[in-house]
Amino acid sequence: MRADRAVAAARIVAALVALAAVPLVVGDFWAYQLGLFYLYAIAALGLGVCWGRAGFLPLGQGLFFGLAAYLSGLALIAFEQRPAWLLVLLPLAACASGALAFAIGVLVFRRRGESGPYFSMITLALALLAYQLANNWESVTGGFNGLKGIPGLPGLDSYSAAYAVAAIALVGATLLVAWLYRAPLGVLWAALAHNERRVVMFGFDTNRLKAVAFGASGLLAGIGGVLYAPQQGLVTPQLVGFALSADLVIWAAVGGRARLLGPALGAIAIGVLASELRDRLPYWEIALAILFIAVVLFFPEGLAGAFAPLTRRRRRSAGAGTGTAHVAAPARAEHDDAARLEIEDIEVRVGDVTILDRLALVLDRPAIYCFIGPNGAGKTSTFDVLTGELPVRSGTVRFAGRALERLPAHRIVRLGIGRKFQIPSVFPQLSIADNLAIAVWSARARPLELLRPRLRRWSTPLLDALRERYPFLADASRTAAALSHGERQILELSMALVGEPRVLLLDEPCAGLSPHETAAVIDAIRWASAQRRATIVVIEHDMALVRTLADHVFVLHNGRVLAEGSVATVQADRAVQAIYVGAAK
Amino acid sequence: MDPALASLVAPALNALFGIASLAILALGLAVVLGLLGVLNLAHGELVMVGAYCAYAVQSQGLPYLAAVPLALGLCAILGWATERWLVRPLYQRPFDTLVVTWGLSLLLRKSAEAIFGLGYKSLNEPVGGTIVVLGASYPRYRLLVIGVSMLVLAALVAWYRRSRTGTRIQAMVGNPDLARAFGIPVRRYASLTFVVGTCLAGLAGVLIAPLVPVQPFMGLDYILMSFFVLVVGGLGSVAGLVTGATLIGGANSVVSALSDSTGGYLSVLVLAILFLWLRPRGLHAR
Repeated sequence: MRADRAVAAARIVAALVALAAVPLVVGDFWAYQLGLFYLYAIAALGLGVCWGRAGFLPLGQGLFFGLAAYLSGLALIAFEQRPAWLLVLLPLAACASGALAFAIGVLVFRRRGESGPYFSMITLALALLAYQLANNWESVTGGFNGLKGIPGLPGLDSYSAAYAVAAIALVGATLLVAWLYRAPLGVLWAALAHNERRVVMFGFDTNRLKAVAFGASGLLAGIGGVLYAPQQGLVTPQLVGFALSADLVIWAAVGGRARLLGPALGAIAIGVLASELRDRLPYWEIALAILFIAVVLFFPEGLAGAFAPLTRRRRRSAGAGTGTAHVAAPARAEHDDAARLEIEDIEVRVGDVTILDRLALVLDRPAIYCFIGPNGAGKTSTFDVLTGELPVRSGTVRFAGRALERLPAHRIVRLGIGRKFQIPSVFPQLSIADNLAIAVWSARARPLELLRPRLRRWSTPLLDALRERYPFLADASRTAAALSHGERQILELSMALVGEPRVLLLDEPCAGLSPHETAAVIDAIRWASAQRRATIVVIEHDMALVRTLADHVFVLHNGRVLAEGSVATVQADRAVQAIYVGAAK
Repeated sequence: MDPALASLVAPALNALFGIASLAILALGLAVVLGLLGVLNLAHGELVMVGAYCAYAVQSQGLPYLAAVPLALGLCAILGWATERWLVRPLYQRPFDTLVVTWGLSLLLRKSAEAIFGLGYKSLNEPVGGTIVVLGASYPRYRLLVIGVSMLVLAALVAWYRRSRTGTRIQAMVGNPDLARAFGIPVRRYASLTFVVGTCLAGLAGVLIAPLVPVQPFMGLDYILMSFFVLVVGGLGSVAGLVTGATLIGGANSVVSALSDSTGGYLSVLVLAILFLWLRPRGLHAR
C-alpha cells in the first residue's frame, strides 16, 4: 500500500514539474494560451465523469462553464477593491454551477428507464435557453457583446501567473476525479452505466447517484468557468450556449471519454491543433466533425485508449496489491427476525392482460420455497412486484409489518429483499472483486462513505467463506467478462447472498448450467439457507431440483396460487396434474 | 358574415398553421424514432438542408417547385448513406446512434456554414398575397403549408397501413428476427424507413423556408421542438403527433405572446419535463 502511495505522489510531482516546464519551452504567451485549454480540460473531465463513467451524455455542459464565468466576472468587477471577498465568492460561483447541475439531475432523473436521450435533449435545450437569457438580459450580462473589462485575479494577472493558476487547477481537478473513480461512487457509476437495474437491486438510489455525477461535472465546469473570466477578461453568451457544449463533447470523445485523463487530453490536443490550423485550413471545423464521427464509430477509446497498452501492465500489479488486504465491513443493521412476507390479493394488469389475478400467499418462516408453474403463470411477475418494479392495481404486500407496494425498488431492497435475475446479471467490465464489493456495500455503506476508497477492500465473514468454497471469486485481477456462464451464475448468486437479505429471490438459478455446475449452485443455496436462516424463494422448472431443494412449493397458474404444500402434496393434487401433464413425472 | 366570427378566423388559422407546420417538422423524426428506435439528432440539419435547397433554387431564378426534387434527392442520399455507414453498425449500441447523428448534425451545420456563410438568408414566398377565408384575409402560402402538411401526413399513413411495403415495415418493427425468417429483407426496409424520415425532414425544410430566416443554426430549434412534440404526444400514432404539436406549439406561442421568446422556450421545456415525470410514454402511447 505504502509503495502505491509513493508511486502516486511521484506521479503527481512529475506532472507538476512537466507542467511548470512548459512555459520555459514554449514561452510565456503560448503558455497563457495553453492555460485556456487547461480550463476547458477541467470542464471536459467533468463530461468524462458523466459520459465515460456513468453512461449518460449531457449536451449542454457549456451552461455550467458559462454560468460560473458570468458569476465570477460579476464578482471580480464588484469586489475589485476588496479582494478578500473573492476568496469566498469565486469558490461559491463554481459551487453554484455544481448545485444547479445536481438540481437538474435530481429533477430529470426522477424517473428511471429511458432517460438517456431525454437527458441529453433537456440539457441541450437548457443551454440554448441560457444562451437566450444571456443575450437578452443586458443589464446584468452585457447582452450580445458580453461582460467586458473583467479584472484579473488580484496579484495573479501576469501571463505566467495565469498559466500557473490554470495548471494547478487542472492538476487539482484531475486528482479530484481520480479520487472519485477510486471511491465506491466511481465503481457504482461504472456499474449503473452497464446495468442500472442490477445496481438498484442492491439497494442504491441510482437516480441520486446519476444526479451526483452530473453535479460533479457541473462543479468541474464551474471551476473552469470561474478561472476563465479573470483569464480572458471577457465573458460572452457564446460560452453558455451551444458552441462550447459541442466542443466539450468532441474533446471528450476524441481524447477518450472512458479514461481519467482522456477528456483533458482531448481538450488540450484539439485546442492546440485548432489554434494552429483554424486559420490555415479552411475546412478545419468540417474535418473535426468527421474526426468525431470516426472516433465514435471506430475508436471509442479515443487518444487515451492508444496509450492503454502502456498503462495496463502497471495497473495489473497495482490491482493485485489492493486485492489482498481485506478490511472487515460493519455488520448489516440487524432486523427483528420475524421476516414474514405476506402477499394479499395482488392484481397486476398490463393493457388488457391480467398478469396476477388476486394472488395471495404467505411466507411465514425461514425456509426454501419453490415457485413452479407453466410459462406465463406469473412467477417472475410476482418477483417484480416484490421488488417494487411492477406497479400493482390493488392488493398489498407486507414485509415484516411494512407495506411494500408503494415503495421505490431500492428502498425495498434496503429492507432486506434481495434478488438474482434469470439471465446472470453481473457487471462484466468490473473486476470480480468490485462486483462483490458492490454487494458488500449494499445496505451497509452510508451515503457519504461511498466517497472512501477504503471500502473497496471491505469483506464479510460470509464473503470469506464463499471465497473459500469458490476460489475463482478471490481472483482480484480478472474482470467478470472473463468468466464462464456457470461462474457468472455463482458470482451473481454470491453477490445476492453477500447483501445478506432476509428474503432472497432466485429466478431459475440453474438455467443453462451443466449438471456439474447445477450441483454447485444447489449446494450453495442449501449452504446459504443453513448458514443464515434466510427465506429463499426459487423459481424452478426442473422437478428433480425442486424435489431436492424445496421445503414448501407454490404452484402458480394464470396469476393465482393453484396449490401449495410439500412436494408430495402438490404432486398428488389433481388440479396440478391437470395443468402439468408431462412436466411433473 | 358575422364580424365577430370573422375576427376568430385568423387566430384559428394561425393556430392551425402552427400545429400543421410543427407536425410536418416532427414527422420525419417520429418515423425514424418510432419505427427504428433511432433518435436522429441530425433531423434538424436535414430540415436545414431542405431550406437551403429552396434558397439555392430561388436564388438561381428557378421555379420554387424545383426545390422539392432537389431536397428529396439530397436528403435521400444523405439518409441512405447515414443509415448505411453511421447507424447500421450501431443498432446494437442504441445510445451511440444518438452520438453519431449528433456528429453528423455538426458536420452538416459546418458544411452549410462553409458553403453559404453564417448570415441569414430570406426567401420570397412562392405563392404571394392573401386570400379571404370566411371574411378574414389570410396569407395564401400559409394556407398552402397547412394543406400540404395534412396531405403528406394522410398519404404517409395510408401508405404505411395499406401498401405491401408498409405492411412489411410493420412486420419488421414488430419482430425483426421473425420478419427476416419470413424472407423480408429487413436491412433494406430499415434503410428505406430511414430515408423516408430524412426525406420528410427535407420536404419540411422546403415548405417552411420562405417563412423563417434560413441559417446554419436553424436545425437546433427544430430538433428540440420536434423531440418535445414526440415526448408529449407519444410515438406511433398520428393522433399523438398532432396532440404533441398542439400542446408544444400552443404553449410556445401563448407564453411567447405573453412574455417573450425566452419565456416560450422555458414553457416548452417545463412541459416536456412534466411529461417525462408523469407520462413518460406521452399521451398516446403505442
